[in-house]
Amino acid sequence: MIVLALPDVHVLPAPLWLITLLHVLTLTLHFAAMGCLFGGVLALFLARLPGGLEHPNARRLVKLFPTLMAATVTLGVAPLLFVQLVYGEVVYSAAIVSGWFWLGIPIAAMLAYACLYAASFTKRGVRRVRVWLLLALAGLLYVSLVYSSVFALAEHPAAQKDAYAADPTGLVWYADVGAWLFRWLHMVAGAFTVGGFFFGVLGRKDDVAWAKGKALFGVGMAAAFVTGIAYLMTLGDVMKPFMQSAGIHGLMLGILASVVAAPLFVKRRLFLSGLSLGVGLLGMVYARQVLRDVRLQGHFDPTALAVDPQWGVFALFAVCLIIALGAVAWMLRIYFRAPTAS
Amino acid sequence: MGYPFWETGIGYGPLMAVIAVLHVFVSHFAIGGGLYLVVAERGARARADLQRLAFLERLSRFFALLTLVFGALSGVAIWFVIGLLSPSGTEALIHTFVWAWAIEWTLFAVEVLAAILYYYGWKRLSPRRHMTLGWIYLVAAWLSLAVINGMVTFMLTPGAWLQTGAFLDGFFNPTYVPSLVLRSGICILLAGVFVLFVAGGHPDRRSRLALVRGAGLWGLVGLAIAAAGFWLYRGVDVLRLDSFRDVAERLRLPGMATQVMYGAACVLAGGLLLTAVLLPALQRRSVGGVLLLCALAVFGGFEFWRESARKPYVIHGFMYGNGLLVGEDHPGGEESLLDRLPYRTGDDGRDLFNRACRSCHQMEGYRALKPILDGTDEHYIEGALAGLHKMRAPMPPFAGNAKERATLAAWLAERIDRRPLHEIHGEAGLALGRRVYEARCGSCHVRGGYEDVSETLSDFDVKDLDDLLSDPDMSEEMPMFHGDAKERQALIDYILGWKKEGVR
Repeated sequence: MIVLALPDVHVLPAPLWLITLLHVLTLTLHFAAMGCLFGGVLALFLARLPGGLEHPNARRLVKLFPTLMAATVTLGVAPLLFVQLVYGEVVYSAAIVSGWFWLGIPIAAMLAYACLYAASFTKRGVRRVRVWLLLALAGLLYVSLVYSSVFALAEHPAAQKDAYAADPTGLVWYADVGAWLFRWLHMVAGAFTVGGFFFGVLGRKDDVAWAKGKALFGVGMAAAFVTGIAYLMTLGDVMKPFMQSAGIHGLMLGILASVVAAPLFVKRRLFLSGLSLGVGLLGMVYARQVLRDVRLQGHFDPTALAVDPQWGVFALFAVCLIIALGAVAWMLRIYFRAPTAS
Repeated sequence: MGYPFWETGIGYGPLMAVIAVLHVFVSHFAIGGGLYLVVAERGARARADLQRLAFLERLSRFFALLTLVFGALSGVAIWFVIGLLSPSGTEALIHTFVWAWAIEWTLFAVEVLAAILYYYGWKRLSPRRHMTLGWIYLVAAWLSLAVINGMVTFMLTPGAWLQTGAFLDGFFNPTYVPSLVLRSGICILLAGVFVLFVAGGHPDRRSRLALVRGAGLWGLVGLAIAAAGFWLYRGVDVLRLDSFRDVAERLRLPGMATQVMYGAACVLAGGLLLTAVLLPALQRRSVGGVLLLCALAVFGGFEFWRESARKPYVIHGFMYGNGLLVGEDHPGGEESLLDRLPYRTGDDGRDLFNRACRSCHQMEGYRALKPILDGTDEHYIEGALAGLHKMRAPMPPFAGNAKERATLAAWLAERIDRRPLHEIHGEAGLALGRRVYEARCGSCHVRGGYEDVSETLSDFDVKDLDDLLSDPDMSEEMPMFHGDAKERQALIDYILGWKKEGVR
């Protein structure tokens, strides 16, 4: 076969470690925003505040949800971009095998976003707010279920091929109890923990809301611990190589930092508690990243990809990122320093 | 090629169009709308026009909701859908332009926050700071367009990237500037016409007239800039090269798209001048609605032209729409296509159809093959597959070997109506002859057009034509005639009839 000298696009435009670092950092931020939103909505329904959705803390949360959704979507773009860059071979394939469900994600997210705005803007009473929030929650639940299913399938290339042979129409729902269900439950419990934290921080000046926040945070952390252990127990043959990999350090960091966050939260050391929770999340995201590599051993090796760095464009990205962070900080500063009405 | 093929049930073209068209309209409107809001706010504040400010605040709420909820997430949806429909193409784009995408992400983050705070800040921020947020939004949104424009135009005209593989060669490709000018004009046009539509229902006559006149001028300026961009586009040398001109001649779509675009632009220019600038009192919601549709037709026509001109590639000169790389496209080669497919359904014919044809064709439905192949046979299809790349419609060559060509031909033949054409359509004589010509010859030979053979055949008599249709060694890329005696005779009569009509 004659092959023309066309450019090779199967190269990484930066070293793998740099792309992995960016992926882990941005995914942590995405999970934090998603936890505040998804966990926040869940927490709002489970908190049973006096006055329900009329409670000031509930109203503040409802007003904040659309902005949290914007943050979640925006912060979700970058990690998906970086994971497709390196793991495209398995991620695209898994997405295609579950194509209709995957394509439903932006639609469900769009509907959830619209419902959150509707809940935020409506003046037709709390019943209407509840309905909009429940619809938004349904949309967010759908997104979480599909993401967990598709990314679990992406780590099982053999299962992808079998599933495709059985049904190539994009209607495969990968629902392996170990690989998907516990993974999803752990993600939801993690989001609930962050949501409980956010709920408490927002209601720190209100005794009832603060107490509810503490309880939600504690319950979320316990649930995350139980589901996380259950997920680990289902790793089977992968358990040993994972325990021998760098992922164990991430897991340990995640558990320790999360545990440290709890007493700090109770003592109202909110900044330190949030920082600790963030570090814990970072550790978990790193462990998740390593676990993917362990699972894919023998099927896909990201270190085998050729690297041809585009340092000039990367430098421009770095400059843009710094400018963007500055602009975001400045905009938030002028907005929150301004009086509430003029 | 290394990815599974998604059997959607509906055509890839319509699926992509449904998501992309709406997003593209909204995303361009988002930029023009941002410019309109800040410029109009500045004017209203200078005149202390409270009515106008109230109008702008309402407009900004709609604008923020549309751009944030629909615009942002439909953009994500495009990303999702291209990954499903063309994973190899998406992979090529991401590997080549990941840092451009990352830059766009930073701009997107600024844009989203600025839009949110601009809307919430009407009563909270000082006028100066509020307008600053508007300008930040506008700059971020336009730069975001400038970045995405590099990747969109790259797919049509990758330029020197094909030789160098260098980021800058691909990004600042030959159609980058014309496209950016055109799209900037479209942004302003859409904003102007949308405001015209909204202002048509404004209750206060004086305010309405002022709004309508201003919006009409916006629309005209935007249209003029877009027209200048398209003029630059048409002047790009690379678009005049053989491969592009060839597509324009072989495919009617680009021509139809430009006709729609020109027609809508003329109606729009006249409508804006008359009902918005010269006689604003004539402006109504209904008139504004028609002008808005014309603006969408202008833009849609351009996008359709651009997409059609790129066929049969997803990245021109590099990758075909079915994911096959240029350089792997050797018709009649011995290399197996199936061996290159890690994801299989267990049905070889189905897998070959999916990989070779299905990105652009369904058996029935979108660009359906069944109506084209009905009345033909397995031998014809096998021969046609050998010469796919010679056909009038631009298509990639079949990338499998002879055995796979036969497998695919058999698979296709099972799904068509194999009765003779005279049985299917109940025709005879010249009508049948024309039908047979269209079915068995017309894909590669158009009378008076592509690969015309009228001149060559004009000297043939009945015997020559009969010999020609019976010749098994006529061409490797031309199927031998396998129709029945009635069809053969009808075809011969039809071709002989050309002499009487004159060759054309």
